[in-house]
Amino acid sequence: MKRISRRNFLKVAGVGAAALSLAACGGAASSTASSTASSAATSSAVAADVTIKVAAIETGYGAEMWKKVTEAFTAETGIKVELTTDKKLEDVIGPSMQGGDYPDVIHLATGREAALTEQFIKGNLIADITDVLSMTVPGESKKVSEKIAGGFTDTSLTNPYGDGKTYLAPMFYSPCGLFYNAGFLKEKGWDVPKTWDEMWALGDKAAAEGTYLFTYPTTGYFDAFFYALMYAAGGPDFFNKATHYEEGIWDTPEAKTCFDIVAKLASYTNPITPAQANDQDFTQNQQLVLDNKALFMPNGTWIVGEMAEAPRADGFEWGMTALPAVKAGGDSYSYTWFEQAWIPAGAEHLDAAKQFVAYLYSDEACKLFAESGAIQPVLGIADDLDGDNKMFYSIYDNGAKAAMGNFAAFSAIPGVEVRTVFFDPVNSLVSGSMTEQQWIDGIKSASDQMRANIIE
Amino acid sequence: MRTDKSRKRFVFLCVAPATILFFLFMILPTLNVFRMSLYERGAYSPNETFVGLKNFQHLLKDTQFIRSMQNMILLVVVVTIVTFAFALVFAAILTREKIKGQNFFRIIFYIPNILSVVVISGIFSAIYKPENGMLNSIIGLFRNMSDPILWKGEKLVIPSIIIAMVWQAIGYYMVMYMASMSAVPISLYESANLDGAGRLTQFFQITIPLIWTNIRTTLTFFIISTINMAFLFVKAMTSGGPNGASDVALSYMYSQKDAGLYGYSMAIGVVIFLFSFALSACVNKATSRDPLEF
Repeated sequence: MKRISRRNFLKVAGVGAAALSLAACGGAASSTASSTASSAATSSAVAADVTIKVAAIETGYGAEMWKKVTEAFTAETGIKVELTTDKKLEDVIGPSMQGGDYPDVIHLATGREAALTEQFIKGNLIADITDVLSMTVPGESKKVSEKIAGGFTDTSLTNPYGDGKTYLAPMFYSPCGLFYNAGFLKEKGWDVPKTWDEMWALGDKAAAEGTYLFTYPTTGYFDAFFYALMYAAGGPDFFNKATHYEEGIWDTPEAKTCFDIVAKLASYTNPITPAQANDQDFTQNQQLVLDNKALFMPNGTWIVGEMAEAPRADGFEWGMTALPAVKAGGDSYSYTWFEQAWIPAGAEHLDAAKQFVAYLYSDEACKLFAESGAIQPVLGIADDLDGDNKMFYSIYDNGAKAAMGNFAAFSAIPGVEVRTVFFDPVNSLVSGSMTEQQWIDGIKSASDQMRANIIE
Repeated sequence: MRTDKSRKRFVFLCVAPATILFFLFMILPTLNVFRMSLYERGAYSPNETFVGLKNFQHLLKDTQFIRSMQNMILLVVVVTIVTFAFALVFAAILTREKIKGQNFFRIIFYIPNILSVVVISGIFSAIYKPENGMLNSIIGLFRNMSDPILWKGEKLVIPSIIIAMVWQAIGYYMVMYMASMSAVPISLYESANLDGAGRLTQFFQITIPLIWTNIRTTLTFFIISTINMAFLFVKAMTSGGPNGASDVALSYMYSQKDAGLYGYSMAIGVVIFLFSFALSACVNKATSRDPLEF
């Protein structure tokens, strides 16, 4: 076991804090001071000579911003950074990690197909970074916890074991919802549906005009969708019970509402969707919305950058709405998707890594990230946005409630995964090879196993 | 005596590097697969627990695994039979018949082999596109395509992969058969001609029996390469979707590793290993004949 004990952990945290204060005083000038490797090996000297390895996934935001942020971090603290970015980060860092060589900081979200972060969570292989929250952001006077927006460090995505300790740092958030061509809806004189009943009515109208109501890039996009739907159907209480696989939860009327909506939505889905709902062809499904062949798709704000080069219908304009309410007057929800950065328990330079994580919330880093469209979950950031992003990030100001959290971690069970049990069958619902009841039965039996294996 | 001894030492030194490398990188990992299939651990976790044959017991109850094995067996059988038939016929035509542009055809047939599987998958994904793919566009000339055929949809995804795999494999086996067919002496065909044997008779009575050893070898190749290739094609074309409809055993093994079940995926590896060995042995036994000399 490479997890640090509590005592060591405190020691490290103390060193980190000392390093931080000294580094903050020393500023950038001491960065290349190799002569400090004298007997007076203070923690600042340790920090200055350290090179940490940072591995970050390259997503729609590009890799350039990571280069800039790591350079700014080195200038601020003197800690050098060896940066690795890749679109398939798992394939790059995975093999060496199997050999015991870990990067110090990894930016890689849960919910990816290779599920590397989930494996680290399931294996208790992530360092506790609760103390980072009370660290001062390098180069600033504020603490990390004073910068991160409320709620982000209380979810199961950052505190996977529900023990009040934070293991994963929240990064780039994005409100998820249904994306559509606002120009097309305006042209047709259709209103954005506020309830699911209005949604079905719109679906019938669209069908009469030869277009479909719905598509989805891959079934993986149903996680954010389904979480928001669970909130809309039964509120936070139902969401918590359901995501902890409580016994009998899938027999409740709230669950039935969720299943019925997804099943009905499947019948309104553009039928070619499942054939393209894989990691190679998913942009073709997104293209359906740009071509007005489907009205809505679940997605996140990155879609604008991802499809920036794609051809589109005349008068196309991005629109985004929260999930409609289950009944008139009900709450509508938008899931807040965010990525995570974390420190492997086997990281070599734990204190320097924690400084780096703290630095990710500095004004400078947030600005550099935002230039590429990546929005850090810090207070007040939404005020400075412009263009499409302003509209997207103001979704919560316009009446939608924020949904956060995910299914509780459970130790791996052969043949049972959240995605394959809950979301992949949507492909079969659309193509008609599976009934709603078969889907529910699958969820129920898998849910029993997940409950039995939940990681406390 | 002395020279004999030094010669032995020389031979030993020559053989040692290859043997050591082979042992280190082939034998040991293979043994390790068997060992790890009895343990449970995450891919990145340093801890492992001995679980005995539990992983194999889970396999028997895992419907997704059973489906992926069925898909794999279907691919092995169909791809082998179709490719074998086409490659044999094309090889016979290109060696025995005098047709224009013989060399041109040889090259054309062999080209898919030079392309990487990812490129082929890209080409076929474009061909299979539901809306403006080549296949649906051509079919659209003859029938109404308001309801496009979903080549990568649940029902057709396996046949679609089979077509791509056959297209990829024909050239390679064709060249193998051509090599041994051209070694068959022409005098045999000439005398058969005099006896009044037609082309088909010659093919079945002369060509096939005389290249039989070659055919047996390629059958083993078929089994092993189809199992491996299926993984590449599935990974690059569909990721096992939709809803696992195109999962093959190796891609399922890979996804179970991602799910954090390293031992379990090794158990799948063991099953595939034993399966391909057993199948190759059966095919070898069934096709065993006394070799004919010419």
